Amino acid sequence: MASPKRIASLCLLLLLTAIVSSAFAQEKVVKIGALYPMTGRSGIYGMDSVAAAEMAVEEINAKGGVAGYKIQFINTDSKAKPDYSVTVAKRYISDDKVHFLFGVVSSAVGLALTEVSKQEKKIFIGTDHAATELTAQNLQPYYFRVSNNTFQSMAAGALYLKELAQTKPWKTIAYIGPDYAYGHAQFEELKFNLDRFGVKYQVVGDFWPKLFESDYTSYITSIVQAKPDILVSGFWGGDTVAFIKQAVPYGLFEKSLYFHPDAGGNYELLSAMGDSLPLGLVLSARHHNNWPDTAMNKDYVTKFHKKTGRYPTYSAEGAYVGVYAIAEAVKKVGSPDDSDALVKALEGMKFQQPEDPEGFVSFIDPASHQIVQMQAIGVTVPNTDFPPATRMLGQWKVYKADELLPPKEWVEKKK
Amino acid sequence: MDLSFFFVQLISGLTMATFLFLIASGLTLIFGVGKVFNFAHGSFFMLGAYVGYQMSSVWGQNFWLSLVAGGLFAGVLGMVAEFFFLRRIYGRADEGGFQILLTYSFILILDDLVKLVWGTEYKSLAKPESLRGALSFFGIVVPTYNVAVIGIGLFVVIAAWWLLNKTKAGRIARASALDREMLAVLGVNVPMTMTLVFGIATALSGMTGVLAAPLRSVTPGAGIEVIIDSLIVVVLGGLGNFWGAWLAALLIGEVNSFAIVFVPKWATLFSYLVMALTLVFKPEGLFAPRKVRRV
Repeated sequence: MASPKRIASLCLLLLLTAIVSSAFAQEKVVKIGALYPMTGRSGIYGMDSVAAAEMAVEEINAKGGVAGYKIQFINTDSKAKPDYSVTVAKRYISDDKVHFLFGVVSSAVGLALTEVSKQEKKIFIGTDHAATELTAQNLQPYYFRVSNNTFQSMAAGALYLKELAQTKPWKTIAYIGPDYAYGHAQFEELKFNLDRFGVKYQVVGDFWPKLFESDYTSYITSIVQAKPDILVSGFWGGDTVAFIKQAVPYGLFEKSLYFHPDAGGNYELLSAMGDSLPLGLVLSARHHNNWPDTAMNKDYVTKFHKKTGRYPTYSAEGAYVGVYAIAEAVKKVGSPDDSDALVKALEGMKFQQPEDPEGFVSFIDPASHQIVQMQAIGVTVPNTDFPPATRMLGQWKVYKADELLPPKEWVEKKK
Repeated sequence: MDLSFFFVQLISGLTMATFLFLIASGLTLIFGVGKVFNFAHGSFFMLGAYVGYQMSSVWGQNFWLSLVAGGLFAGVLGMVAEFFFLRRIYGRADEGGFQILLTYSFILILDDLVKLVWGTEYKSLAKPESLRGALSFFGIVVPTYNVAVIGIGLFVVIAAWWLLNKTKAGRIARASALDREMLAVLGVNVPMTMTLVFGIATALSGMTGVLAAPLRSVTPGAGIEVIIDSLIVVVLGGLGNFWGAWLAALLIGEVNSFAIVFVPKWATLFSYLVMALTLVFKPEGLFAPRKVRRV
């Protein structure tokens, strides 16, 4: 039998525990559980995203957090694998008690996580993956995307080609892109948008090397033979580097206009290729280090460079913006616990971002949960402001955000 | 298709074939002599590319010097790997399983090593000044660099044939593939032969990495990608068969090149189709010599 003394000490212990845990509870946090790849081919996007997200977290916490909460950011290597990422996400929710799922470079992982988000009613902020279906036919109430999808890039691309036809008449296009969902979706969306904007064109070839193909020589000679006026490219990452390097000596870029509107203008390409990147290629990406010329963008790029010693690839901005989107929503609602109230807060939310030009503020379209942004398409020009790159994009053409969203009938047809 | 385009496409296929062969040749050599399947062969290719990048792009050295450095580095590291690790599993029961595990772990280690030293961004290496342009004859344009690569590939085929068939070292290497005990009795240092062969093969892979770098992006994980392509070549050629690997590389290169012209949407399928058909109808390899029956 327990002695009175023993009971008293037990009570004291209980009391102490209560005090300690309440002290912990006073440190209120908004917990973000991210999944970015830190290895493999897309590792650089993961590294940049995590660095930028942490930068945003530091900025917000330094100002005292939001609504009395500090932001806490955790990341696990997604290994770019959907099944593995699902396991981690479930653990995030059950054990780590995260308030938000966050991140993801690969669309395959994004599509898997949006299912977890739907089941568990935890908001998933998408920052990099571009498959349009996440904000169209596969949209669920708890998913939001804060970077462009491929449809927006392709709509801007189609508008660019429409304008180009007026100054420099062209008739034929060929397409080359990786042989999986991302590549095929881009080509289909480009054709849809060209038709939508009434552009006349003839496809003289479409080529589908496998993802991470190393030798494009035979594709290049075949494209040169097909003589398209415009060569549309849907590559990303190192595949673009390899393709351009191999195509230069064949004179492909003098014969056809190289047009790469979704991921071609990523800083990673500009920095990797240096002088060997031809001038006059038409490229874009979801964020540019030298556009828009606003204080916010300059500040963001400089801070990132200071923190990491390198200039950011486009994926970084999505992560940076994603953390701010969460902070804004928590501020509006007053706590991170009520997912449904947070969904309401995020729908239609407007907030300023590094990639917003003067006089424009990005917002989240309440119908599709897709961020609505301007898109700028540029041409490679000499520029040594962001070493090691010796070429950056310039001669910008800018497209209005609301023209770029997929029309309702397109979404309906996909369902 | 006019005739000149036919030739252009033929030569494109030849470029691809040469790279396939250069990578597969080392793999074939190691398998032919030591019956070791080196899964990490592609990682030595990647390592060579990074050493070349470091020499050329960072330290501003001459391209050809970088080529030698990439080869040497990969070769020495290959010998270290053989001497300290692979050597310990020869002759074990289920040696094949150990080979796969061990060489696969080399892939993971080398990938991480590369990431630690050079980071995950893509790296780029410029072509040597003298090979930047393109040659043009009868309306056919071929980049000078590609012609040089094809030439180097031919040189390697001939040199390897000469080494293996016409020199004492070659005879010893071939003999050690057949009967190690007998060779040891005759006073040949068989383990040393294996280490050297491994070193030569990985050096070849490293050099190929430097050679390919001006045309591709230098990236971690490149090793596992090239190993899959060269695996097809090695299997088609008949495991361990040098000439077979060359012919198989030519076949895959050309099949791929013309598939792109005629069926661009399905082009990538064809090399796998050739392999699948081979495995069904001639599993010992398309170019494997007829088996000598042992009595």
